[in-house]
Amino acid sequence: MSGRDERAPASTACLACARRSWLLSELGGPLEYCARDRTRLLEVLALGDRELLKALAGRRAAELSALYADFHIGEPGSAQDVERICRHCAGYPHGLEGRYGPHMLQVLGGSQRLVELAGGPSVAILGSTAASDYGLASARSIARGLGASGVTVIAGLTDGIAAAAHTGALDANGASVAVMGGGLDVACPARRRSLYGRIRERGCAVSELPVGCRGRRWGQLASERIVVELARVTVLVEAEDTPAGLAGARLAQARGRTLAAIPGRICSPLSRGTNAMLMEGASLVRGARDVLELLGPLGGSGVAPATASTGLAGPASNPLAGLGSDPLAGLTTGLRATLERVGAGCDTPDRLARAGEDPAAVLLALTELELLGLVIRGDGGRYVPCEPLTGM
Amino acid sequence: MLARAHTFTIEGLHTRHVSVEVDVRPGLPCFTIVGLADAAVREARERVQTAIRNSGYAFPAKRITANLAPGDVRKAGPGLDLALACAVLAATGQVPGAGLERVALFGELALDGGVRPSRGALAVAQATHGAGMPVLALAPGCAREARLIDGLEVAAVGHLRSAVRVLGGGAGDPLPEAAARRSPADTGIDQRGLSPTLPGPDLSDVRGQHHAVRTVVIAAAGAHNALLSGPPGMGKTMLAQRLPSILPPLSSAEAVEVTRIHSLMGARVHALAVSRPFRAPHHSITPAGLVGGASGGRVGEVVLAHNGVLFLDELSEFARATLEALRQPLEDGRVAIARAGHATVYPARIMLIAATNPCPCGHAGDGERCDCSEADMARHRRRLSGPLLDRIDLLANLERETGDGPATGAPGALTSSGRAREQVAAARERQAARLREDGVRVNAHMDARMLARHVRLDAHGQEMLGAARRRGLLSARGEHRVLRVARTIADLDASERVRTCHLGAALALRPDGGLAGNRAA
Repeated sequence: MSGRDERAPASTACLACARRSWLLSELGGPLEYCARDRTRLLEVLALGDRELLKALAGRRAAELSALYADFHIGEPGSAQDVERICRHCAGYPHGLEGRYGPHMLQVLGGSQRLVELAGGPSVAILGSTAASDYGLASARSIARGLGASGVTVIAGLTDGIAAAAHTGALDANGASVAVMGGGLDVACPARRRSLYGRIRERGCAVSELPVGCRGRRWGQLASERIVVELARVTVLVEAEDTPAGLAGARLAQARGRTLAAIPGRICSPLSRGTNAMLMEGASLVRGARDVLELLGPLGGSGVAPATASTGLAGPASNPLAGLGSDPLAGLTTGLRATLERVGAGCDTPDRLARAGEDPAAVLLALTELELLGLVIRGDGGRYVPCEPLTGM
Repeated sequence: MLARAHTFTIEGLHTRHVSVEVDVRPGLPCFTIVGLADAAVREARERVQTAIRNSGYAFPAKRITANLAPGDVRKAGPGLDLALACAVLAATGQVPGAGLERVALFGELALDGGVRPSRGALAVAQATHGAGMPVLALAPGCAREARLIDGLEVAAVGHLRSAVRVLGGGAGDPLPEAAARRSPADTGIDQRGLSPTLPGPDLSDVRGQHHAVRTVVIAAAGAHNALLSGPPGMGKTMLAQRLPSILPPLSSAEAVEVTRIHSLMGARVHALAVSRPFRAPHHSITPAGLVGGASGGRVGEVVLAHNGVLFLDELSEFARATLEALRQPLEDGRVAIARAGHATVYPARIMLIAATNPCPCGHAGDGERCDCSEADMARHRRRLSGPLLDRIDLLANLERETGDGPATGAPGALTSSGRAREQVAAARERQAARLREDGVRVNAHMDARMLARHVRLDAHGQEMLGAARRRGLLSARGEHRVLRVARTIADLDASERVRTCHLGAALALRPDGGLAGNRAA
């Protein structure tokens, strides 16, 4: 409460918006209850401050009202590099100004940079936290292509698809924006700390909740709306056909954003959600190039067609730069055949041998492909192609 | 009157010579034993007294003092009974004392005067021979074991009266029929290699899993430590159990070492061990159980696996402290144990084979069957990673056999143990010849200096290693491991040079980053 206010940093946000953010963090418990029904949560978040207090404060109504009336923006504390930006500031991302959007964002990595990134072409990448190798590789590959083409990747900082998307964008020296479900200082899980650091170096991390507010489920759900609304195009990489799995995609549809999805195997439950979205009219994308085409008419001025053609390149950033623009150009026919077999599901040494490869040479071929960055070792000794061949 | 007999006590893996001095003088009747005797030895008073009476000899109603020298060595176990009884008989003039200087006595007495076998007969026979005594008298049950030592006369004594006869220069008892030793329950040491009628598990029992089988053959050829990872029920344990069948047989010096260790730990032995020991302790084992150091001087499983294979199934279930305790034996091939009472060094040159599931549910990489979160995987990997994984050279992933892909018939066995054994033996010969001057015998024990001398890569190989380093796939230590394995693969291939294909295969088998759960990061 007041202790937290003292730690709040100096900012350009106005008092009303900062107070709104504080109020949301105070009402975390009741909001967590609302989060059981996603649409209801969004409606609640659209309420004004007074109604929010009335609806959710319950027994704490008097106490919170007093604190609310007494609210002031505190001195900068430990989290000094956190900046604030609110909907009354010039340059506040356009998409967030709607009724459901957050009133204020806390930003790590510079609010100016956020304004610039949100003004340029950007793509939101959504997907399951328990993704398959195929989903992870696709997310990474698309994000890498987007990053190399100067498109900002926007995602949460959750396991699975989101983390893979950030990794891909940063690997290509692109920028990414991580939307956090809690305070910027506490919401990052320990195992993502290095990724978090890299994101802040080249892009930024944002949250609508004040510093020190711990991450909760409702915050995670609420952050998904920011992900979708910050971006021009939303790509659903892999999701189960459940309300939770498709929440972000439904939101994008409801807000009239361009929704794209990557097709998956029809027998895989992890791809049922994406396939369902495709049936409902989402654009089918097979790689970064398809996403860039969707983005193009919307004004992707930063998109360089030459690099976009492979969905990969960007001379300084491309880890395969030594091979020229086409990473497969330098491959011998043998290696190319092995790579194709791996992509087709013969992804272990034994399966490759059964598919007709020379058992003595299989390991060498796999190592060579791994050293070229074309496959990585996945779970259970399987090899996973880094770039789906369809994107080429 | 004074008499002195000679026997041995067992201290861990070592035997200590003990002189039993008995003095009989007039006084209040009592029987005292001095000289750091443990409970079992103090109880010998009753056994000796009763056994002497029941064998038809007289136990004098005098003051009897027995001293066990040297006085600073703890004497443990009932093996000293026979020597005590004979010394008492000699001190009372019922046995000629001269025999006691010639014959070492070792055995536990029954109340009727019978002699029971004690553990460690082989080590005691070695020690008797070393002490320069020509005859060892011990129970018929372990006489055959003692006879494995050349140049020592072994007298089987089934009863105290037979011992008295041997001391007087007579012959020992006849040994039981040789056929009796074939009873399986009596075979303390794995004797599979001896008898063609009892075939051990064979590599040809393994269907499919060619990649894993090949990896195990490579591990055997270079004595590399290996980790088998795969879903439950895919034959990790089966594969590991077949490892001893493809390892080269024990050399005669190794065989004596192995037999001695097992005899000291209570196994009945009738012949020298032939095949290498295979120990598979349960994952609930404690550090003391694994490396030794428990009270009573019992050695650990690593020592029992000396010159053989230590198999740790479900590696991630072992307690952290237990696995940490393996570091020294894996590094130095020995275990140094220091406890309040004693400090000893045990030999423990082992080959470690570990098996684990790739993730907590065991189905990682098996499509939707795996329901572990990234955090679960990270936790699982943390349990495995660290110093122990640093000493593992090879990772073999076993896969669920699926029917997809153009099948070239049902996947049969890759090779039989016999064929694999020949390949391994040939590869080991090549290594031994190359490493003759370095003081090691197998590639797994090469240090950085030897690697630099014996593993020369061609230009393409250098480039490949450089690429792996640049991509962050290899640590410095990991690079050495890969080079050792590459050398072994070349040896299996009968190639003097380490070619690119050998290096490529070694890189594909590296354990670094090969465990599940590195996908997104």
